[in-house]
Amino acid sequence: MVAVLLAACIWAVGKGALSISPGEVISILCHKMGFAIGIPFDEQQESVLWIIRLPRVVMAMLIGGTLAVCGAAMQGLFRNPLADPGLIGISSTASTATVLVIVLGGTFFEGFQSMLGQYSLNIATFVGALLAMFIVYKFSQQQGRTNVGIMLLAGVAVNAISGATTSFITLSANDQQLRSVTFWMMGSLGGASWTTIGGILPFCLSCIIIMPFFAKALNAFSLGESDAAYLGIRTERLKTMVMLLCAMGVGASVAVSGIIGFVGLVVPHIIRMIIGPEHKRLLIASAFTGATLLVLADLVSRTIAPPIEIPIGIITAMAGGPFFLYLLLREKKKTVFL
Amino acid sequence: MLQLSNISYKVQGRTLLNNISVGIRPGAVTALMGSNGAGKSTLLKIISGEIKPLSGSIIWNGKGLGDWDIKELAKTRSVLRQQYNMQMPFSVHDIIAMGRYPHFNNKLTAQCKEVIKKVSEYVGVDKFLTRNYLTLSGGEQQRVQLARVLAQVWDTPSDQRLILLDEPVSALDIHYQHQLLALVKALTTANFTVIAVLHDLNLAMQYADDVLLLKQGNNISFDTKEVSLNEENIMETFGVQASLHQAKNYPHPFITVCPVLKQYQNFATK
Repeated sequence: MVAVLLAACIWAVGKGALSISPGEVISILCHKMGFAIGIPFDEQQESVLWIIRLPRVVMAMLIGGTLAVCGAAMQGLFRNPLADPGLIGISSTASTATVLVIVLGGTFFEGFQSMLGQYSLNIATFVGALLAMFIVYKFSQQQGRTNVGIMLLAGVAVNAISGATTSFITLSANDQQLRSVTFWMMGSLGGASWTTIGGILPFCLSCIIIMPFFAKALNAFSLGESDAAYLGIRTERLKTMVMLLCAMGVGASVAVSGIIGFVGLVVPHIIRMIIGPEHKRLLIASAFTGATLLVLADLVSRTIAPPIEIPIGIITAMAGGPFFLYLLLREKKKTVFL
Repeated sequence: MLQLSNISYKVQGRTLLNNISVGIRPGAVTALMGSNGAGKSTLLKIISGEIKPLSGSIIWNGKGLGDWDIKELAKTRSVLRQQYNMQMPFSVHDIIAMGRYPHFNNKLTAQCKEVIKKVSEYVGVDKFLTRNYLTLSGGEQQRVQLARVLAQVWDTPSDQRLILLDEPVSALDIHYQHQLLALVKALTTANFTVIAVLHDLNLAMQYADDVLLLKQGNNISFDTKEVSLNEENIMETFGVQASLHQAKNYPHPFITVCPVLKQYQNFATK
């Protein structure tokens, strides 16, 4: 899995307007680390790779991994395979928070590109995401089980409210702010730089690394909340931690790349079909697969119709939307739905 | 030994349990019975530690229930509910292994694997350990859950094992009802303490040892089943006229409930 991810990365950084072969990629990276392996490359290739392509691929990895892990964890928390940060309004509330910061913090915006500015943006999205998650979770819980209908409908409501808020805020934005809001809202990794990566790295990595420690508890949680407690799991702590981590990860992702939907839904599903629902393996495998998938999706978004770049959110939604419908169909056959 | 003293519980001013004091014997099946809303499930939740009583104390194995570490408690007490609403396609083995969660940190220990094997054989689910739980029938699913519940306390010292069953057979057909209760009953020979919420008077008569009758949170009777389940107590608890019939050489009497049709019989003339 690691190998597939690495191969995808090397391939993805090489593709684009300026082509760099895998050999040259490795050579440049080795050169950066201070030793030569003798495959020639020119300076232009080096700077394109280092300043444009590599940050972008690293960013895609981070965000893909984070979204997939958060999706898997949320499905565990909601005890239902249909939960997804995008569907239940967490991403959109985080994006409202971002727009709020970009527009209302007019002076603040100058610092948006700096790492500190990035951190404060992260905090705003974190708060937004946490709020949405808390609301939807509280609404959907019914006598210790998740009411899927209410979960999805509450998501619709949260989505609508945050969408309206976003539009409202955008109305009062000036031209320059509007440009950056629109650019950002399309869900693109185009803004990737080493600074933005530095801004989200701690949030994303801690989300990906800490989450598997809750795997056992999430497994037990799938029996039901009280049953997990009977098994000696501290359920309140579990819920709080998973919600905090998800809000942190999703918040950070949204802050830099806008809403990239369906990664958190599709990836854990595929993994579950292949290796089963056990959360330790599921979370780790989801992280790698999500990373690989988003690196490839970003590659498609850059190269499918050059020089235009299709926002990556469009690509994941195009692929994920039908998949979601397929899941609904399966659910409908299986049980009484809603 | 499980000792309940002066347990009371209220929700929004409504009394659900009123001053319940009983000592539950180890090595016996105790049935909690009463009509809907009598407080059976609430009492079971209090015994399991899920909710705290407003007043009163519970001593389990010489220690107040609130003083137990949640993980240590999990090694001595496990709970089977009426129905599980699983959405994730776990294998049967994975579900039984969850019963061992209090006993290991990262990987199943050899001891855990041994227990899982023994429990599956005992409950009779060893044939489908690799099956997807969601594809099993309701009766099979409930047996898998029973295996998980037993795996949780299987290797705990014998008189320190408490199994709580909340309407364990209500969703099962007659065959599985008797099978599950017989399995549970057999555990008491190994000194398990078993408490079960039951609805069926005859099932209680057949499988329980002691019966606690509750009515609106009050203790109507707590004694051996032969003493508790008499006509007077059944009338008091459930509001129905029952008769007990003793068949020759049968270990216990049958309970029949007399028709309560009288008040409805005049429908045609109305």
